[in-house]
Amino acid sequence: MIESDLKISISGIRGIVGRSLTPQLIIKFAEAFSTYIGGGKIGVGSDTRPSAEMVKCALLSGLLSGGASPIDCGILPIPSLQVYTREMKLDGAISISASHNPIEWNALKLIKSGGHFLYPYEAEELLDLYYQGKFTRVSFPGKIVSEKKAFVLHEKKILDFVDAGIIKKRKLKVVIDPCAGASTPYVVKFLEKLGTEVVCINCRPGGEFPRNPEPLAENIQKLCHTVRKERADVGFAQDADADRLAAVDETGTPIGEEHTLALAVDYYLQKKQKSPVVVNLSTSRVVEDVARRAGVKLFRSRVGEINVSRCMAQKRAKIGGEGNGGIIVSDIHSCRDSFSGMALLLEYVADSGNRLSELNSTLPHYFMIKDKKQATFREARRILNSLKHKFKQGKINATDGLRVDFPGYWFHVRPSNTEPVIRIVVEGKDEDAALKAYQKIMDEIRK
Amino acid sequence: MSPRLRISVSGVRGKVPQALNVEVASRFASAFATYLDKGKIGFCRDSRPSSDMLGMAISSSLLAAGLDCVDYGLLPVPFLQFIMGRKNFKGGMAVSGGHNPEDWNAVVLLGEKGNYLESSEGSEVFNIYEAANFKRVSWKALGKRRENTFRMEPYLEKMSTIIDIERIRKANFKLVSDPCNGVVSNFLQPFADYFNLKLISLNNQPGKPFPHPPEPSQEHASQTEAVVKATSADFGFLLNSDGSRLSFVDEKGESLSEECTLPLCLLSLENRIRKAITTLSTSSLTDWAAEEAGVNLLKTKVGQSAVVNLMVAEKAGAGGEGSGSFALSSFSLAYDALLSLALVMDLVNREEKSLSQLVSSFPVFFMKKLRIEVPPERIYKIMDSLEEAYSGENPDLTDGIRIIRRGLWFQIRPSTTEFILRIIIEGKKEKDVDLAEEEIRERMAK
Repeated sequence: MIESDLKISISGIRGIVGRSLTPQLIIKFAEAFSTYIGGGKIGVGSDTRPSAEMVKCALLSGLLSGGASPIDCGILPIPSLQVYTREMKLDGAISISASHNPIEWNALKLIKSGGHFLYPYEAEELLDLYYQGKFTRVSFPGKIVSEKKAFVLHEKKILDFVDAGIIKKRKLKVVIDPCAGASTPYVVKFLEKLGTEVVCINCRPGGEFPRNPEPLAENIQKLCHTVRKERADVGFAQDADADRLAAVDETGTPIGEEHTLALAVDYYLQKKQKSPVVVNLSTSRVVEDVARRAGVKLFRSRVGEINVSRCMAQKRAKIGGEGNGGIIVSDIHSCRDSFSGMALLLEYVADSGNRLSELNSTLPHYFMIKDKKQATFREARRILNSLKHKFKQGKINATDGLRVDFPGYWFHVRPSNTEPVIRIVVEGKDEDAALKAYQKIMDEIRK
Repeated sequence: MSPRLRISVSGVRGKVPQALNVEVASRFASAFATYLDKGKIGFCRDSRPSSDMLGMAISSSLLAAGLDCVDYGLLPVPFLQFIMGRKNFKGGMAVSGGHNPEDWNAVVLLGEKGNYLESSEGSEVFNIYEAANFKRVSWKALGKRRENTFRMEPYLEKMSTIIDIERIRKANFKLVSDPCNGVVSNFLQPFADYFNLKLISLNNQPGKPFPHPPEPSQEHASQTEAVVKATSADFGFLLNSDGSRLSFVDEKGESLSEECTLPLCLLSLENRIRKAITTLSTSSLTDWAAEEAGVNLLKTKVGQSAVVNLMVAEKAGAGGEGSGSFALSSFSLAYDALLSLALVMDLVNREEKSLSQLVSSFPVFFMKKLRIEVPPERIYKIMDSLEEAYSGENPDLTDGIRIIRRGLWFQIRPSTTEFILRIIIEGKKEKDVDLAEEEIRERMAK
C-alpha cells in the first residue's frame, strides 16, 4: 500500500507543501468550511511555518468565496485563537498549523463557534460538502479584517485567573523554548507579566524548526542545558502551535509531559477549586492518584481534545487534559493550553515555596511505554478482539479501542484517527511490570 | 448574459462566481506561474467587491509555484504597467474588471514590461491551465509576498516632461470628474494638486457600488453634464473603473462621444509622433485627426493587446481606440486615462480654445454602434454567410468583416467578451447609415 501524503480526515486537512497541499485544494476546503458554517465571521491564525503565507492567502480567498468575513489574526497560538473565537462570538475559526509534524507539512484545524474543534459527526458533514463540491459561492464577498491583538484576550483571562503577585515575590527565573513557533511573538512578555525573569531560546521564527516540535524529553536537551547554565527555577517547552507543554525542573531534568499535567491538576485541586477531573484513556495513572488525594472523582474520555472537553462539560469537571502535555483549565477555556499550564505551575512553585523537583517527587512514579504499529482497519479489529480475549481478567473499557486495567499495570490500544496504525500505551507500577506487560501484548498482537 | 468564462490573450473575464471564481483564478495564476517558471510578479487590483478575494487566490498560487509577489494593493492597472516599464519584473497580474459590470471581474496578464502577451504566449498559458500540470515547489522554495505602495511622483514627473506643465499650472483649470467609484478615484486629488486644478469630484469612493456602468460614454454622462453647467467648469470627464478609458463633457455641459478622445490626444501631439495604431472599429474622426497631426495611422484588431503589441512591433509613438483609450509608447505600454487627460488639457491650453470650440472644427460623421444578441452556436454561421454575401466588395477580414464604400464604412464582428455581434456603421450622411443597417439586418436574417 502506498501511503498518501494528503490526509483529509475529521481532524481537518493535512499535507505536504509542494506535493499534496496545493492552493486549489485549500481554497476548495475553505469554501466547504465557509458553506458549512453558513458564512459569518471566521477567525484565521497560523503558526510560524514558512508556508503559512501561501496557505493563508488561499484560505482567505476560499472563505470569502464561501460568503464568510475572515478575521486575519496573523501568527497566533491555537488556544489563543480558540479563546478569541469564543470571546468575540465568532462563527468559526481555522488554525494553520501542522503542530508537531515536520516542517514540510502544513494543516488546517477547524474550530466552530464557542471555540471548540468540530465533533467527528460535524466534521463528517463538512467532508460530505467538500467531496460533493457543493459550495456557496457569492458574487459580492465581504472584507478581510486584520486583527493584531487577539492574544491579548487570552493573556488577560490568564492574568486575571492566577496570582501574579505571589509569583513575582519569588523572583522566579524561567527558560522558555517556544520552538520558534506560534507562541514566539508573545510568550516572553506573557511570562514577564506573570512576574518572572525570562530567558528565551529557539525564539527566532522562519525556516526550519530549531528542534523537533514535540516537547518530548529527547527533543528538549538544549532547554535542559540552558536551565542548568542560567540557574533557572523552571524550564518550559511548547510545541509549534502552543497547545502542549512540558516542564523541566531546576536541575535541568524534564519532568515529562504526563507529570506536567499531573502537577497542574494537583495545584488546581489544592488551591483553585475541588472539581471532578477528566483525562483521556491514554493518560498516566499519576493523575488518578492526584485526584484521589484531593478526594475528587476522575473520569476518562476518548483520546482527542474535543472528547476530553466534551466529557468535562458533561461531568462538570473544571480541570483535565491529555497526558501528552495538553493541560485544560476550563476557567480560561476548555482547550489544551500551554499558557494556562505555565501559569498554574509557576503559581504552584511560588505559592508552595518548594523547588519544582521537590513538588514532582511528591507524585508516584510509574513507567510508561508508547509504541505504534502499522495495521489496517481490519487488522486493528482482529487485534482488539484477541487482546480483549487474552486479557479478559482485567477491567475492560472499550469506548476507544481497548483499555484494560490490572492492579500492577494497564494498557490502551486504539486505532489512530489519521493514519493506518494502532497506538499502544502501556504503564506499569515500575519498569519491570511495564516491560513484562508490553511483551505480552506485543506477542498477542503479532500472532 | 452568459455565465461562461471569456478567455482572451489579455486574460480571463466573466461573471463572479458563475464564470470567474477563486478556483479559476488560482488555476489561472498557477498556469501563468508555471509558464514564467520563476521571478517576481507585480500585482494590483481594483475596488470591486470580488477583487481582494480573487487576488488572494492568485497570490497563494504564485507563492506555491515559487514566484515572488509584489502586491501594490488598490491600484489602477495602467499605474502598474507604468511601474513595470521601469523595474525588473518577470510578469504582472491584475484583478480589474475595467469597463465590465460590477458583478463581473477580470484577471489580466502582463509581460515583463507591463505589455500584453503575444497570442502565442497567451495560448501556452491556457494550454497549461487546461492540462493543470502546475509547477509546485517545496516549502523551502516558496515565493515571498511583499506589499508595496505606488509612488505618484515619478508618474507625474514623467507626465510633466510630455506636456507644458507650467502653462497648465497657471491656467487654474476647474474640472468635474466622475471616476465611477473606481480605484482610480484615490489618485485624482494628487493629480489635481500637481497640475494645480480645482477638482469637483463626483462618485469618488472606491468600494462603494458603481453609480452607473463603469464605461465612459454619453449615456452615463448626465451627472457630469449637470455639475459642469452648475459650476461653470472648464470641462468634465468620465473614467472607467481602472483608469484606462476617458470621455469628456464640454464647458457647455454637453457630453462628447468617447470617439473624440483619441483624436484630441493625437492633435495634442501634433508633429511629435510619426506613427500611431488604432483599430478597424474606430471612427473616421481618428483618420482625420491623424492627418491633421501629421501621423501615419495603422489599423489592427479591436483590443488593448492587439493595439499595444502592434505599437511595439511597429515602433509607433502612440495607439488608441474609439472606446476612449490612448497609449503613448514613451510613457508606458498601457491605455492611460490620466495621461490622455493631461494631453487634452495641454491642447486646450495651447490652442486657447474651449473644448467645444476644438470639437466644432471636427468633421461630422454619423456613427451607429449596434449589439445584437446571438446564440453562441449561430455566431459563426452568420459570419460565414455574411462573408459570402459581401465577398464582391473586397472585405477586410482582419477583425470580423469590414466594408468600405464611398462616404461610409461598416464592420461586423463577434464580441470577444460576450455572445453578441457588434456592428459599427459610420458615414457622412445619416441616411446612408440607416440604409446600411437595414441592409445588414436583412442579410443576417437570411
